[in-house]
Amino acid sequence: MSEKKDNFEQSMKRLEKIVEELDKGDFSLEDSLQKFEEGLKLGKTCREMLDKAESRVRKLVENEEGSLCEEETDEF
Amino acid sequence: MLFDDTQHLTVSEVNEQVRTLLEESFAEVCVLGEVSNFKSHSSGHWYFTLKDANSQLRSVCFRSDARRVGFDLEDGMQVLARGRLTVYEAYGQYQLVVSAIEEWGAGQLEAAFRALKERLEKDGLFDASHKRELPAYPFKIAVVTSPTGAAVRDIVSTLRRRWPAVDIVLCPVRVQGDQAAPEIVRALESLRDVAGIDLIIVGRGGGSLEDLWAFNQEIVARAIFDCPAPVISAVGHETDFTIADFVADARAATPTMAGEMAVPAADEVRAALQQTMGRLTHFVSSTLELHQRRLHALLASYALGRVRGRIENYMQAHDFAMENLKRRIGDVIRKRRGSVDEIVARLQGMDVKTILKRGYTLCSDARSGAMIRKVADAVRAGNLQVTFHDGHVLAEVKEKIHERKER
Repeated sequence: MSEKKDNFEQSMKRLEKIVEELDKGDFSLEDSLQKFEEGLKLGKTCREMLDKAESRVRKLVENEEGSLCEEETDEF
Repeated sequence: MLFDDTQHLTVSEVNEQVRTLLEESFAEVCVLGEVSNFKSHSSGHWYFTLKDANSQLRSVCFRSDARRVGFDLEDGMQVLARGRLTVYEAYGQYQLVVSAIEEWGAGQLEAAFRALKERLEKDGLFDASHKRELPAYPFKIAVVTSPTGAAVRDIVSTLRRRWPAVDIVLCPVRVQGDQAAPEIVRALESLRDVAGIDLIIVGRGGGSLEDLWAFNQEIVARAIFDCPAPVISAVGHETDFTIADFVADARAATPTMAGEMAVPAADEVRAALQQTMGRLTHFVSSTLELHQRRLHALLASYALGRVRGRIENYMQAHDFAMENLKRRIGDVIRKRRGSVDEIVARLQGMDVKTILKRGYTLCSDARSGAMIRKVADAVRAGNLQVTFHDGHVLAEVKEKIHERKER
């Protein structure tokens, strides 16, 4: 599993959970604000991951020793 | 000169001689094989390939004969075809010109397919419990397919268009022919050593049953089953399933659909994120509002009102008491001050000088200074000091006159 995937997925899940919890309501003001702040941070992280990431295409090729390695390609 | 050019043949001559040989030797043959690449031309002629596990034979059935065949040919059909061999000289290809066809049960490939499917199913390779969920947000995807051809381009362009954050690892393999299956297996196995693969797409574009045969082989099925990451099979065939399709975690009908299935659309994710953030903000502002309302309600509540009323009463009582106290202390002070004045006045009245001013004098012994209060004292002293308010004089007693006591 890639770290990016885990981070993104966990952030999204946590964010959704926060909203769900807030939806059910009845938190103290302090707790709400704390969750709100956390949610803002998570949202920002997710958005940045989407905006900053740029797709790369690499080819798995066999090198001279017969083992496989990734090689950058711009065929696509 | 290497060759004797008087002995050369033209291409046409070679083909013609081969044709003659073939037609004489195979004037009538009966061939058992599986139909594939079947095409019914608009002219009414049928073109197809007969094949078995190892070999293929190009075949044609002309319209007049095709009409007499009592059924429609289909790919995968096992048939007995009667005819003659000839050479299609324009291409230099030899072919079977079929005059009659009989169906020969289910095709062997089909049978092999079914047998394998049954066996793998029994082994549990298709069980829903083994299906892994596709990751919602894959960031690294491996694509196992031919490096040339439309399939890889369709997959890569779809992935990048929808989900620009994706890293793609291409595993170039042959997808057709004897080497296809082992190469696919090797690629899938080598992906175990590539870190961070979230998802694998394995497939190719559409083709006939024998073109897709690699995806119907047991080693490929088991390699897919053993993959650590979820696998989407994308063998471009809308209707027919391959064994790979059954064993994979998800099946896409075409390579483009595999791309769509593999990744979410970034725009949609962004919109959802936006919406979630909107809800978050909404909840917090409504929580603030709620607490504000609660605070107001509490402040306005009867209970607190009563407490406040009592406090106000106390405060008022306190104020009254203080007022009272001040007033009373004032009175006391005023009274006290009056008596002090009196005393002072009286003291002042007792001041000797004031008395002397009124005309009294003070008489004392000129020597001892003792106060003279009686005639006898004065006689005893002899010399007196008489004090007036503005000084004193010395005096001498001349005569003693007793005041007659009055009755």
